[in-house]
Amino acid sequence: MRRKVLLRSSWLPYVLIAPAVAVLVALSIYPLIYSITVSLQVGEAWGLGNFTRLASDGFFLTAMAHTFVYAVAALTCEFLLGLGLALLLNNQIRGRGFFRATLLVPMMLPPVVAAVVWRLMLNPNFGAINGTLKQIGIDTESLTWTASPGLAMLSVIAVDVWQWTPFVFLVLLAGLQAIPQEPYEAALIDGSSRWQTFRHVTLPLLKPAILIVLLLRTMDLLRVFDQIFLLTEGGPGFATETISLYIYRTAFRFFDFGYAAAMSFVLLALTNVISVVYIRFLKHESRA
Amino acid sequence: MSRALKYFLVVVALVAALAPVYWMFTISLKSEVDHFALPPPWFNFTPTLEHYFEAFVARSFGQYLITSAIVAVISTLCALVLGTLAAYALARFRLPYDLDRRLSLWILSTRMFPAIVTAVPLFLMMRDLRLLDTKASLIIVYTAFNLPFVVWMMRGFFDEVPRDLEEAALVDGDSRLGALVRVVLPLVAPGLAATAVFCLIVSWNEFLFALVLTQTDASMTLPVGIAGRVTQYEIKWGVMSAAGAVAIVPILVFAMAMQKYLVRGLSLGAVKG
Amino acid sequence: MGIKFQNVTKAFGDTLVVDDLSLEIADGEFVVLLGPSGCGKTTTLRMLAGLETITTGDVYIGGERINDVQTQHRDLAMVFQSYALYPHMTIAENIAYPLRVRKLDKPERTKRVTSVARMLEIESLLDRKPRQLSGGERQRVALARAIVREPRAYLMDEPLSNLDARLRVQMRGELKRLQHQLGTTTIYVTHDQAEAMTLATRVAVMSRGRLQQFDTPLNIYNRPANRFVAEFVGSPSMNFIDGKIESGAFVSESIRIPVTRENADQLTIGIRPEHISVLTEPQNNATPATVYVTELMGNETFVFLSVGTNKLIARAAADFRAELESPVWLRIDAEKAHYFDRQTGLSI
Repeated sequence: MRRKVLLRSSWLPYVLIAPAVAVLVALSIYPLIYSITVSLQVGEAWGLGNFTRLASDGFFLTAMAHTFVYAVAALTCEFLLGLGLALLLNNQIRGRGFFRATLLVPMMLPPVVAAVVWRLMLNPNFGAINGTLKQIGIDTESLTWTASPGLAMLSVIAVDVWQWTPFVFLVLLAGLQAIPQEPYEAALIDGSSRWQTFRHVTLPLLKPAILIVLLLRTMDLLRVFDQIFLLTEGGPGFATETISLYIYRTAFRFFDFGYAAAMSFVLLALTNVISVVYIRFLKHESRA
Repeated sequence: MSRALKYFLVVVALVAALAPVYWMFTISLKSEVDHFALPPPWFNFTPTLEHYFEAFVARSFGQYLITSAIVAVISTLCALVLGTLAAYALARFRLPYDLDRRLSLWILSTRMFPAIVTAVPLFLMMRDLRLLDTKASLIIVYTAFNLPFVVWMMRGFFDEVPRDLEEAALVDGDSRLGALVRVVLPLVAPGLAATAVFCLIVSWNEFLFALVLTQTDASMTLPVGIAGRVTQYEIKWGVMSAAGAVAIVPILVFAMAMQKYLVRGLSLGAVKG
Repeated sequence: MGIKFQNVTKAFGDTLVVDDLSLEIADGEFVVLLGPSGCGKTTTLRMLAGLETITTGDVYIGGERINDVQTQHRDLAMVFQSYALYPHMTIAENIAYPLRVRKLDKPERTKRVTSVARMLEIESLLDRKPRQLSGGERQRVALARAIVREPRAYLMDEPLSNLDARLRVQMRGELKRLQHQLGTTTIYVTHDQAEAMTLATRVAVMSRGRLQQFDTPLNIYNRPANRFVAEFVGSPSMNFIDGKIESGAFVSESIRIPVTRENADQLTIGIRPEHISVLTEPQNNATPATVYVTELMGNETFVFLSVGTNKLIARAAADFRAELESPVWLRIDAEKAHYFDRQTGLSI
């Protein structure tokens, strides 16, 4: 259908859009350009030294690896748990509104506060986790959670899952409830089993919501900073250092802005590529 | 799956979600002795307000709280004004070269940047402008931060108002501006409120930019203040919990109020809750 | 006030949606723009209202050229197909809106709103919101909003199409009376030819952006200017047969109808269903046909017929009965037939 344009104001839209665009250009685009210039400066000279350094920087590669492990593990858990909960609550349990409201508490917290909450819970000496475990007789001597090289990554992943599963749940639930009844009725008449119905009716119709959730979570997980900073500060040692933390440390502890800028670009390129792939999937789905 | 089992699982999920937060509240209300008691008391302890007093009166958390509030409110207002105007233009006008669609997508993409990517150059820029460690720098940055979201969401809400209504208003004799104020705005008011709440929550919770751009008590926000207490060597859990508890309350209140638009906002409009 | 369109054209990119339209409407007339969807009638109305730009040509209201006058200053009132009632305002506020933006004071507004509401019998609804009203009630509110102002003209964009059939017929009558009472020029857009025929003082038939004929309903019905108009107006629609005239008869395949016209080639004859009589016994000069199907309407019967490769419709009496595939004989009133050039479609 033709868009009906309200007339005679060919300059009006531009005037309305300009201030917003100006702010964004000044504070999103210009910094990027500035960052490029910074990243191309190695000490006093100009060059690609910062970028070539990346390939041989063990810390950088480890941080990337950590970020991926974190993202994949957290995403998988959050998705499965969130989907499960959504399927569970889809069928008219009374008080659903109340459940929804309370389940969203974790994700509304400032990530910093979520980290505080879990530092308290995971504290080896007086935290609720170890306290309860001790009560049921488990020896918690070696369960130092965020201070233990082995358990630290697990701990931070667990915190992320705790905080963000509700988000996945809410969006998938909304997606499920938007699916009309007719396809289910048709499947019933056709004689489909519960699993078959799930695979051939529910999942395909849920795809747009799934893709959005995966996209948004992936973007958030790749750039995680706040809660890890407060939970472990990247430690113990380097055990939970993700890429954002490493960039932060490079810039604000070692004051090596050039290198930090170079790393930022790699991160940006990465998230761009991934989001483009996702969006292409989304478009493909919405067309189908 | 039986209904009893379903209810049970749901209750488990609820407990898992709320228990840790409750735990923090108890820590904020327990005396130091009770902190280390074993087994850790979930319910039977004598509450005390000493940590709250220490945090907000003795230490500077009261100041952090006010700073957070000021920065959140002002940046949200700015983002709303600029963003809503732009959203209206993008929703109602067709620009050449498919610009309206392209601009919308571009605006959305700025939301996808990892914060650290712009944090580093913004730090350098603010340093050059001598705006480091000021509330102003945070307000400016948060406005830019929230702007894409406002534009994206408000555009969706404007799209839902039938064009017929504005056309009727024009034919009835109203000016463009009058039609916008008298007819369109009342209809997008709930969406506007929800978007405002989202922006407030995001600004209130924001940590990285605040951490990078502030250095002294004068401009620190609540999250930064809380973090600061942790990276010191002597961790005062009670104070931290008290601050955390207070940090949560406005969020919860707002989020409960905005439930209807929650999913829509979180999924950037892709899924209408 | 009189309205004039002079060579008005509207293009969207490369598509001509309205093509060189010229129309003169006298003050107080009820003119209906009639045509199928996509013919440009709504676009024409919107150009008049100021909701679309005019690509070329001029539009005049009361002698004043209004091409460059902004919508809000054209002093026209419009009833939208969707009624476009402001959902957040009460009915009273909806009706009062045009007066409010003209800065009339409250007592004056209330007075006018009440009198208009009384005229349209919606007084009891004044404190409700649009969503609480039925379709018919909303339609009357939209009307009320239009007439509360006493504008130069009323523009109506298919205002009855969202109503159920019975209500539509009822509102048709009400609209006609109302317009007669108020005497204001009205331009009414519809694709429903029955509405056009019953409401209009003159009908402008449009197709693919071009004006086909502009005349009184009766003339449009009895003297269609071309095949399109002939086919579009009248229900059931006119029957068309391609053929030629030779030796005093119109011939086509097995059909032979005596006519008093000169020989001609490349002809299409048009016969309205009411001018075909269906006989169950053979007669002189009657055309043989077979019954395809009959539709009993209660007050009359429509008979669908096969004649060779042609399919025709005839109107018969209410008690007419015939078996499917049974043979019948048709007597065609040649005096009332219309003739069209097969290439151009124009009436001859």
